[in-house]
Parts: sequence; C-alpha cells; structure tokens
Amino acid sequence: MTHALEIRNLVKTFGGLVATDDLSFDIKTGQSVGLIGPNGAGKTTVFSQIMGELRQTSGKISLFGKTLGTRPTAERIRRGVSRTYQIPRPFLELSVLENIRVGFMPNSIWSMITKGPDKDREIQLALDVGFSQNDFEKPASDLSMGDLRKLELARTIATGAKVLLLDEVFAGLTTGEISQISGLIQDLRAKGFTMLMVSHDLPALEPLVDHVIAIERGRMIATGTFNEVINDETVRASYLGEV
Amino acid sequence: MGLRWFHFAAWGLFAFGLALLPELVSKGTLRTLIFANYLAIFAISWDLLSGRTGYISFGHPFLIGIGAYTSAILTKRFGVEVEIAIPIAVIVTMIAGLIVLLPALRIRGSYFALVTLAFMELMYQLVQVIRPDLTGGTRGMSGIQTLTRGAVNGFYLSSVLMFVIAVAAWLLLRTRIGTALTALGLNESAVEGSGLSTTKLKMFAFMASAFVAGLGGAFYVHYLGSIAPRALFDINFVFTIIVAVLIGGASTIVGPIIGAFFLTFLLEYLRPFLPGAERYFIYGGIALLLYMYQPKGIYAMVMKAWHSLHERAAK
Repeated sequence: MTHALEIRNLVKTFGGLVATDDLSFDIKTGQSVGLIGPNGAGKTTVFSQIMGELRQTSGKISLFGKTLGTRPTAERIRRGVSRTYQIPRPFLELSVLENIRVGFMPNSIWSMITKGPDKDREIQLALDVGFSQNDFEKPASDLSMGDLRKLELARTIATGAKVLLLDEVFAGLTTGEISQISGLIQDLRAKGFTMLMVSHDLPALEPLVDHVIAIERGRMIATGTFNEVINDETVRASYLGEV
Repeated sequence: MGLRWFHFAAWGLFAFGLALLPELVSKGTLRTLIFANYLAIFAISWDLLSGRTGYISFGHPFLIGIGAYTSAILTKRFGVEVEIAIPIAVIVTMIAGLIVLLPALRIRGSYFALVTLAFMELMYQLVQVIRPDLTGGTRGMSGIQTLTRGAVNGFYLSSVLMFVIAVAAWLLLRTRIGTALTALGLNESAVEGSGLSTTKLKMFAFMASAFVAGLGGAFYVHYLGSIAPRALFDINFVFTIIVAVLIGGASTIVGPIIGAFFLTFLLEYLRPFLPGAERYFIYGGIALLLYMYQPKGIYAMVMKAWHSLHERAAK
C-alpha cells in the first residue's frame, strides 16, 4: 500500500519555541489516523505545515510520494490534501449550495466564467453530508455549529482532495451532532478517504481511527492502536492527567 | 447563470426608459443625466473591485485619470485617432491596474485603502510636474476632441456605454466568478483553503475594474473636451463614487447605477436651495440614515419590497 502522506523529521520553531520537534510519521492510503495531545502540543501547527499555511523550519512533507516543498496552499489542495478548521470558516453571506460551489470550482478564471455550476453534484454532496432541501438556500450565517461543521466538511470534500485533515470536528457540538458527524466520517472511511483527525473527544474518536499518534510539545510520545496509545504511561501522565 | 424572463424584461425596460428620456426631459436635465451615466460607470468599476473583494479603493481616480489622460494626450498631442486612442487608454489603465494590485497581494483593509489614496495623490502631483507640455500641468488640457455634439447625442452615447458595461458586468458576475469574488471578499483564507488562487482572482477583479475605469475615463474626457487635474484627483470625487455604490447597494451592479442617479439628482436639485458645500451635509445625512437602517442600500430595500409583494400575492 502506498503512503498518502509522509512526514519526515519535521521541525517548526517560533523564535525559541519548538512547536514541532523532529516529527516523523506515515499515513497509508485509505488509513484513518488520530492525532492527539494536550492543548498547545502542536497538532494544529502540524496541519498548517502540511497545508503550506506555515512553512516548516526543516523536514519534508510528501503527498502520494511527491514532496510538497514550498508549494502554496491552493496547489497542495489541488494535489489532493485539504483541511477543516477548529473554528469553521464559512462564507457567511453565501448560501449552503454556494459555499459548496466554491469548493467545486476549478482554479481557472475562464472555466469559472464559461461553465455553469454543476448543481446536481452540489445538491448530492449537500444531501450526503446531511443537509435537507430546505437548507440549500439558507445563508451560512443562519446555520448552527453542527451545520457549519457539515458545510466545511462538504466544501473540503468538494475540492476533490483524497487526504482530509480534520481539526476538532466535534468541538462545540451536541451529542446528536457528534453522532451525525461521526456517521459522516465513517462514510468517508468506507469511500476510501485518507484521514488525519485531531480531537479531544476521545470516545468519539475511538471508532473512527485505525491508528493514533500522540504528541506533546511537538514531539511524538506514542503511536499505535487507540488502546495502545491511551494506555501508554507517558500519554496517561501528560495528556490524560493520570499518574 | 439562472437567467429568467423578468431579468431580460427589467433590463429591456431600463433601456427603453433611457431611450425615451430625451423626449421627456429638458436639455439641462439631460446634461445632468450624462454625469449620472458616467458616475454610474465609475461606480460599477469601483464595485467590481471593492464591492466584491472587500479591497476598498480610495484612489479610483488614479485609474480613471490614466484612462482619461492617455486618450487625451494621444489625440491632442500626437494626433492619434480617437477610435485607436480609447482602446490604447484602456490597455494602459489595465496595466496601471496591475500596479494597484501589487500592494493588494500583501495588505488589505485600511492599509490598502491608504495606499490607493497615495496612488491618486501621486498621480495628481506627477501630472503637474512631469512633462507639463504633454499633460497641461496644473491647468490641465482643453480643446480635446469630443465624440458627440449636443446634449441628446452625449446622453445617448453615455447611456449606451453605461448600459453595455452594466449588462456585461451583471452577466459576468452571475457566473461562478461572481461567487468566487464574493467569497474572496467574505473570507480570503477560506477561498485559498478551497484550492483557489486568490492572486488570480484578485488580478481578475483589478483588471476588470481597471478596464471599466479606463473605458469610462477615456469616454468622459472626450465628452467634456477638457481635463482638470484638481477636479479629477479630488477626494470629493472619490467619496461621490463610493457613496453612490453604498447608497445604491454594493456588490450588485444595479445598486451603483441607482446610487449614481440618486446622488447626481439629489445634489443637482439641492443646488438652487443650497448652492454651496452645505448640500453635502444633506447627502451625508441621507447616506448615514441609510447605512444605519439599510446598510445594503436602496437596491436591497427595493428587492425586499418586491419579495414581500410577491409573497402577499402568492397568499
């Protein structure tokens, strides 16, 4: 099985602070991996480096065997990796379908002008992530946090990326919304998407991941199955607060 | 694009109304309408850039001025035919649009607005000191070839130009590029995070805006037959353009036209009562009230009324 994502000796420093400390791991195509750690461990910083939003100090990131180097975010997305954010970033005045449309757009001004939107695909994706027909024309500003998470997930999928980085997808959600998003992620796994997920909600994360990586102060402290990592002594001491 | 019969009907009605106006109003009013048409063109140009993308330009006369000066210099100083001078002026303005784009790649918000203001100020100083034999220096230029004679012809030419620009921009922004530019104005990082090059989108918006500004500026100077730097590169002119867009409704194309006509007539009809700058208090007051109660402008008010009528009729 080929590696969808390869991180090698990744280092990111902010002045004297080491946010990512010689981090290396691989994610196989179709694999679902959880990235856990205490607040400030550097999980989101890893996401930002994979997406090119932050430039690593040193180290290498490869996507489907090709080094990403200094490529800009938009190009990385077109190469197949996309992310969601802890705080969703919708286009508040645009409707649900228009938000999804932006994800489907080609990066060519000419195509944007000459080819109309593929409404069927937009509607299908909106339905797939759990929106109803009544929601299609609603502006994003009228949506609940659960719906905003669904919308962001839909736009991320619409980009055509096969590697999804999901940052705190369960944050701020009700129990019902967590189970809905969880079901969505299960569907994506079944469809063969490769995923790297950050979540503090460990019970929600457990059924969704094949593998877990725990980091603290930017350094990997444990890796293995969910149970192996959760029962690791270093993880218990640093993250779960148990001695 | 989602075009419906009533869209064509509305634009057709608007064209018909414009065509009929010379039969209905005095020549004085027609001259006012010509200014309203050119203000509408400049407002559409500003809206294409700032209304959509959120990059507020305080220096739009920089682009308008480049279009106007290029065409004026080419025709008056070099004897170039006006049919050739205007397209060249538009191309030069679009190149200038690229210069304005450069700061937008790094800064936005009030910083970008101030840089554009500096561009306008710089242009104002430059046309006065660099080659005044070409630009006419502080006094500007007069005796520039005009395209039409009389108020009626001037009105028809400006109306056709405004109408074609408005319909073209309206059609363009109903495509996916309109959605992408609106998204850019709402959340630039999320556009980048959707796999789209924001630089490319910004470049398109700046080029489209510069195209319209250059075209409008060139035609305007060939309507006036003269150019005065102090009137052109004037902060009041900038605010008139911006207020026209905001009163009418930013990011709508139709809004800037409504705003331009509303503002021109408001200022014109207040003139007998308030001949001085006091008129600007009235229009400032109206603008303020509108922003407080309907920040999306007159267009949104009209649409709201239309939808509520439609709903009532459906019941």
